[in-house]
Amino acid sequence: MNILLKSAIIVDSSNKALHLKKRDILIKDGSIISIASKIDTPANTKEIKLKNLHVSIGWFDSSVSFGEPGYEERETIANGIATAAKSGFTDLVLNPSSTPVPDTSSDIVFLKNAAQNKGVNLYPLGCLTNDAKGESLAELFDMKNAGAVGFYDAKHPISNPNLLKIALQYTESFEGLVYSYPLDKKIAGKGIVNEGTVSTKLGLKGIPALAEELQIARDLFILEYAGGKLHIPTISTANGVKLIADAKKKGLNVSCSVAIHNLIFDDTVLHDFDSNYKVMPPLRTNKDCKALVKGVKDGIIDFVTSDHTPINIENKKVEFDNADYGTTGLESAFGSLNLLFGLEKTIELLTKGRERYGLETLKFKEGEKAFITLFNPEETFIFKREESVSTSKNSAFIGKELKGKAYGIIANNEVLF
Amino acid sequence: MSELSVNHLLGIKYLKEQDIQLIFETADHFKEVINRSIKKVPSLRDINIANIFFENSTRTKLSFELAEKRLSADVINFSAGQSSVKKGETLIDTVNNILSMKVDMVVMRHPNPGAGIFLSRHVKAAIINAGDGAHEHPTQALLDSFSIREKFGDVAGKNVVIVGDILHSRVALSNIFALKLLGANVKVCGPKTLIPKYIESLGVEVETNLRKALNWCDVANMLRIQNERLDISYFPTTREYTQQYGVNKALLNSLDKEIVIMHPGPINRGVEITSDVADSKQSIILNQVENGVAIRMAVIYLLAAKIK
Repeated sequence: MNILLKSAIIVDSSNKALHLKKRDILIKDGSIISIASKIDTPANTKEIKLKNLHVSIGWFDSSVSFGEPGYEERETIANGIATAAKSGFTDLVLNPSSTPVPDTSSDIVFLKNAAQNKGVNLYPLGCLTNDAKGESLAELFDMKNAGAVGFYDAKHPISNPNLLKIALQYTESFEGLVYSYPLDKKIAGKGIVNEGTVSTKLGLKGIPALAEELQIARDLFILEYAGGKLHIPTISTANGVKLIADAKKKGLNVSCSVAIHNLIFDDTVLHDFDSNYKVMPPLRTNKDCKALVKGVKDGIIDFVTSDHTPINIENKKVEFDNADYGTTGLESAFGSLNLLFGLEKTIELLTKGRERYGLETLKFKEGEKAFITLFNPEETFIFKREESVSTSKNSAFIGKELKGKAYGIIANNEVLF
Repeated sequence: MSELSVNHLLGIKYLKEQDIQLIFETADHFKEVINRSIKKVPSLRDINIANIFFENSTRTKLSFELAEKRLSADVINFSAGQSSVKKGETLIDTVNNILSMKVDMVVMRHPNPGAGIFLSRHVKAAIINAGDGAHEHPTQALLDSFSIREKFGDVAGKNVVIVGDILHSRVALSNIFALKLLGANVKVCGPKTLIPKYIESLGVEVETNLRKALNWCDVANMLRIQNERLDISYFPTTREYTQQYGVNKALLNSLDKEIVIMHPGPINRGVEITSDVADSKQSIILNQVENGVAIRMAVIYLLAAKIK
């Protein structure tokens, strides 16, 4: 398929010659053939002309959850991918949160196959331990060979420190990325929201920031001892940022991420028990939000993620205690980050992270594969439940004004809007 | 002010001071009614009320039922033990089924914080929260403050200490909100393990020494240790708890002044207070129970007025 993007403003701060320049871009058979001020439309070429069209290399999200297999009513892989494409994402790392959990190479192959020929690249994580029970290591090398890009027990913390030590040591030879969810379960107890003024007022059981800090501190000590490659997904506390900053100064091989909703919302939004704000890790205080935003700006936090977690209405429209954790996030990711960081930083954040997972890095230049996101950074809109294409509508951003909307993507020789 | 600023009673923190004063003035009137030989008024003959209890309760349920009947409302009772909740029905479905039978008002006790607020957003009926997890128990706080007002003439400026398990207590939280709104000074007292870390953000002080707390206060509201809500051991033994936080007559007599003892019930005699304290002239525990009916009549009456 041949495509000509007309008058597109290229956002690529790594390429001074093209950054913020308006160009026509010709794509042929999935590759960028020509970037020039004016290209006449060749025969048999689909011309794309859109209002205030901006383009960048395709966006990457390091943490999404779909429901297949096991929770198809929440989001199938096909619908999840369609939602991602519409939201501007060309590459996704899929959390192992299905049922049964993916803990063998054949499970990984199933997930890869389910996503094949759908445009967006889906990179599954495999479970670190069998059945994600935290007891014995799954066949990590075998899963890596089948396409798993990291190993994670999907928000189940590793209770046994020796298991983490062994996992880091074992995976070092094949550069496996080990995830450790930052939560000490004993300290967290039966908590469901951040412990603080808000939880006190609402009579909700709190999870102290200490639960995250202790686990991160423990994991960093283990990493220093064992070596290997550690990823700490979705941190939520100011002290968490500090601990990771210190570890990076020491030269430890650690990365971390933060969910966009943890950057934007503090726990005061819980005042009327809206279960769309029930997320894990919990929304913390305004001070934590500020420290997380600073951590992103300073580069201590490696990537931001939508942490897209679709939950069906039956598990959200219930008493707060009984609601499941999670918010969808793919569709609101760009519009909310753009408000927070502005265009250039937002695109930088949405396009980084592939290297950590050993994935091919993308470049916006002639001769490269065309993995491109098309967007209008100036469009302001209210995020409405009925306009969401995700099967589940559990978004913390419903009713919020956002700025910036993706038109869609060009990826794997397909145009997806 | 002749009507409440709210359509539901979901918690004290959603009320204004004028709301509480209106409830008190209305309760003054009903307290006089329930001390007549005919204790009933025809005010709510056309109102149907459902008492829905998803948690066990004796005194609160009886008190509400009596208040409703003395206002001549039609009353139905429902408790989760006998219901389809156990078969997996959702809260909204359960309540909507009851409302289809033309019920105007729901009094609900529920184990989850915010359950009343959740319900008020999804069903068409006035909701009275009769206790939702560790969140609020507004009518208890109203009757407690009403009892202090009855004893002292005013709540403003009084020193009130709430003693015991503050961490798991909706009574403590609602009392703090009500007392602060009415201008009282509030301290909480108990082992640090049973006091929420951020409680001072509500404008109260923490005192872990019972004698000091009692010497400071005009009123001590003694809470029960809620063994059923304790997931781990917050203190070694009940015996040791009583040694530090139990009030006995000797302690009471050794104080600089005569303080008033309150308790929301049920009492664990010999744990938080001894029998001679519970039955002493300093205790207003049974006045609280009587005032509970008057306060609940007032709340139901004022909310029913908003339905019409």
